[in-house]
Amino acid sequence: MTPERLDATFSALADPTRRAILARLAQGEASVMELAEPFAMSQPAISKHLKVLERAGLISRGRDAQRRPCRLEAEPLRDASGWIEHYRQFWDASFDALDDVLEDLKKAARKPKRTKETP
Amino acid sequence: MSKLTLIDGAPNEIIMEREFDAPRKLVVQAMTSPALIKRWLGGVRATVVTAEVDLRVGGSYRYVFELPHGGQFSFTGVYREIGDDRVVHSERFNDDPRESVVTTTWTERHGKTTLRVVIAFESKDVRDMVLGTGMADGAGESYDKLEQLVANL
Repeated sequence: MTPERLDATFSALADPTRRAILARLAQGEASVMELAEPFAMSQPAISKHLKVLERAGLISRGRDAQRRPCRLEAEPLRDASGWIEHYRQFWDASFDALDDVLEDLKKAARKPKRTKETP
Repeated sequence: MSKLTLIDGAPNEIIMEREFDAPRKLVVQAMTSPALIKRWLGGVRATVVTAEVDLRVGGSYRYVFELPHGGQFSFTGVYREIGDDRVVHSERFNDDPRESVVTTTWTERHGKTTLRVVIAFESKDVRDMVLGTGMADGAGESYDKLEQLVANL
């Protein structure tokens, strides 16, 4: 999974309503109307959240023109549950950059001291 | 292949280990001097815009990061213990009131230095939540419900 994709998943999951929608869909597919009910939200507001979830690949919509039932797509969620990977990527990138800084410091330490050089 | 190793510790901990091809003195210098910290911390994923380090027991530090697509996040803390090969400090992500305790040790062998960072959170739940925030993208949101959700899939 690319970092960009993981970021998209995390942004989609950042909203409590969207997490609740996913929790509902984990029990089975549902129409927009059925989803709007428990949240006391308008259908357009729910549709907006569904679009974000759909873009992140977390849900898919059925073809039935009338109902267009929403279905949970589990794969990106399973990837996002590998949270530790996100954390690792941050430190991995940091320490790779630290390698380069250390090479510079080693070179500077080998060179005879010059008066003008800043520490 | 990543050189960084994540090790299982206590349930509330994250443990990282990484070897550097440099003597301990240089690694410690690069990790505690603000000018040098700015050059590596965050790597290609985030830029350090502010690095303040008051390296003494009771002194504090503050790192502010900027993300490539905008947005900031910060780490702040207070030093509790400072030695040649071991530093202990508290750490706070953004304005989260929950603190973790970070113990950093450097072990030199044949001119190479092994860095070990143990991050201890208040509880396993807090640890999982921190990992769930996607620290690196600064989402700053809690994903505590998500763990339950994923478990139920």
